[in-house]
Amino acid sequence: MLRKNLKVTLLAATAAVFGMNSASAETLRVYFNAGHAYETYLEVIEQFEADNPGWDVAFEKFQWPDMRTKIVADFAASNPPDLLAEPGGWVPEFAQKSLIMPLTKYIDADGKDMGFPSDWQDGSVTRNTINGEVYGVQIHQTCATLVYNKDLLSEAGYDAPPTTWEEFRDVAKKTSKPGVFGFAPNPSFGYIFPFIYQNGGDWYDAETKQMTFGSPETQEAVQFLGDMIHKDKSAPPPVAGSDYEGPQRLFTAGRAAMIITGPWDVNAIRTGNPDLNWGVAPSITGEKQATIAGGVSLMIPKDAKHPDMAWELIKRLTAVDVEVASALQYGMTMPRKSWLANPQIGADPILSGFGECLAYAKGVNDEISHAGLYSSAVEETFKGAIDEVLYSGASAADLLPDAEKEANRLLTR
Amino acid sequence: MTYRTRRTLTAYALLAPAILYFSVYFAGPILIEFWASLRSGQPMIGQSEFAGLDNYAEILRDRLAHKSMVATLVYAIGSTVITLVFALGLSAILSGPVRAKNTIRAIIFFPYIVSFVIGALMWKSILDPYSGLLNSGLLYLGLEPQNWLADPSRALYVLIGVSVWKDVGYATLIYIAAIQGIPDQLYDAARIDGAKPRHLFRDITLPLLMPTTLFLAVVVMIAHLQEISLPYLMTGGGPANSTRLYSLHVYETAFKDFDLGYASALSFAMFVMILLITWIQFKLLHRDIRHT
Repeated sequence: MLRKNLKVTLLAATAAVFGMNSASAETLRVYFNAGHAYETYLEVIEQFEADNPGWDVAFEKFQWPDMRTKIVADFAASNPPDLLAEPGGWVPEFAQKSLIMPLTKYIDADGKDMGFPSDWQDGSVTRNTINGEVYGVQIHQTCATLVYNKDLLSEAGYDAPPTTWEEFRDVAKKTSKPGVFGFAPNPSFGYIFPFIYQNGGDWYDAETKQMTFGSPETQEAVQFLGDMIHKDKSAPPPVAGSDYEGPQRLFTAGRAAMIITGPWDVNAIRTGNPDLNWGVAPSITGEKQATIAGGVSLMIPKDAKHPDMAWELIKRLTAVDVEVASALQYGMTMPRKSWLANPQIGADPILSGFGECLAYAKGVNDEISHAGLYSSAVEETFKGAIDEVLYSGASAADLLPDAEKEANRLLTR
Repeated sequence: MTYRTRRTLTAYALLAPAILYFSVYFAGPILIEFWASLRSGQPMIGQSEFAGLDNYAEILRDRLAHKSMVATLVYAIGSTVITLVFALGLSAILSGPVRAKNTIRAIIFFPYIVSFVIGALMWKSILDPYSGLLNSGLLYLGLEPQNWLADPSRALYVLIGVSVWKDVGYATLIYIAAIQGIPDQLYDAARIDGAKPRHLFRDITLPLLMPTTLFLAVVVMIAHLQEISLPYLMTGGGPANSTRLYSLHVYETAFKDFDLGYASALSFAMFVMILLITWIQFKLLHRDIRHT
């Protein structure tokens, strides 16, 4: 009797557990950047769940480096999420390793209705196109440009922001005073590239598939910033660390007259110091006007359990009304042409300021990632040499050619 | 079945969970890592091919690996030696008649129980060149503020300082326990023979603490050779890769570059190096000391 009862109880418990599972919601796992968990996106997700009864969205937020660690481990365990955001460069890398799926069938079915790719800026589509197939849909498109404190420039006798390297260096010197830096450089790797591009340099040549950062143009650009720190004393050495927020914090506190940043810092500056009188200027011009492009794309892992539902969520998250609402609330710039043409966006001087530099911005890792040659060792080799110039006052001409040689050796690994 | 056989089987049965645990979580991963280190590409995730010893040969050519290995050795040896010297001094003082010694012990031990992330971020904030407490203090004293973490020749030593702050409490506590285990009659006999306090410390305390020193040197050194949290959280390995410790290099090779074969080789090389360093420590510090 006791045995029979035990059997019945076990069967009931098993049925309850499995029954509950089959009746419970399906889960769509989404990895997103913690800083981009905008209210507007949370509302989209809430609506998605309401429109799809039986579905839950597990919206997991990470900083990019942590997400990278997590996703590599997930790929190893064949347990990736259904939808994944990336900071640029991961789409070509993962596509070449067959870890994410081409979105062709979805774009064929829905592209016309959602305006993809016709309504997306060309650069945002090409950066996610590998061997003719699209693997990611860009959700944010950004560029970094000159951001300046109007009051500090005005005190130093400037009514307008600098437009050339000479003016920039001059403004930085004249706005420097005890407790205030004319320009606060960023320690993160990409932030030296506006100067490199403006001087006609680059770090990788797509034609020869070689690193080229030992060129005189790149040397000159790195030395330009090194001289501002060590000769002019108009810029501090960048605060060492793995985050990129140091200059923004100095700027927000009114302790830096100029920084180079993108729309990701708009919200922090606005909320950190609402009284700050600041503006966004076009990128300065050396040999040419240029800056860096960035942005976030969404992709679907090859082993995703629910790719169709992930695509449904992509369509909603990249809708133009969501883009406009997110931009107005959080200051982020977006990849749709209709977003840029929206009158509300045009009326916002900060957003339209950042919108302007999208036209001449270039992604630092786009070419090297598409060639499948990006590696952190190559990046660190270049960055190590840059750091010696910026932190120790070493000569760029002495260090960069040798570092370039080592980086080219690493490319063959 | 004989009694002896039964006893042996029982022993193995009792050991089985531990053997299983070590096989699954230690021996297994080490073997998998060695297997992966002989392959190129992405073993375990994607495509990979047998590469023989190519990955190990690459370590010999990898300048960043060499730089990170040197930084790691400086960091590990510096942190271990300074931690043990401070801990020995503090434990000698705190084992004597000191007022409020329990409170002092608690204060010294406190950093050890603080989460490493919290400790690292706290120090990063203290060392901030523009708003940090340390530079504010220097300015208050009329001294020049310093770029603590922005100087490639200094940043690693700052990290050593933070690690000493973190670990000295643990080592002190272990030393105090060891000192309390030394029989009083040894000191009494020496005093009768006219020994002064410095003689007691040099000729009794220090030699009898050798097993403890060996234990601490091995444990603290291994932890420091594997350090990743401090450079990851405080400096990102910079400036100029001066704080790029070996584990950070392995981590970035594996997770940023997806070069799992080479990262496994780097990791296995570190495993062998830790074994070697531990063996050297045993050779140098092991003494068969009995005080009864």
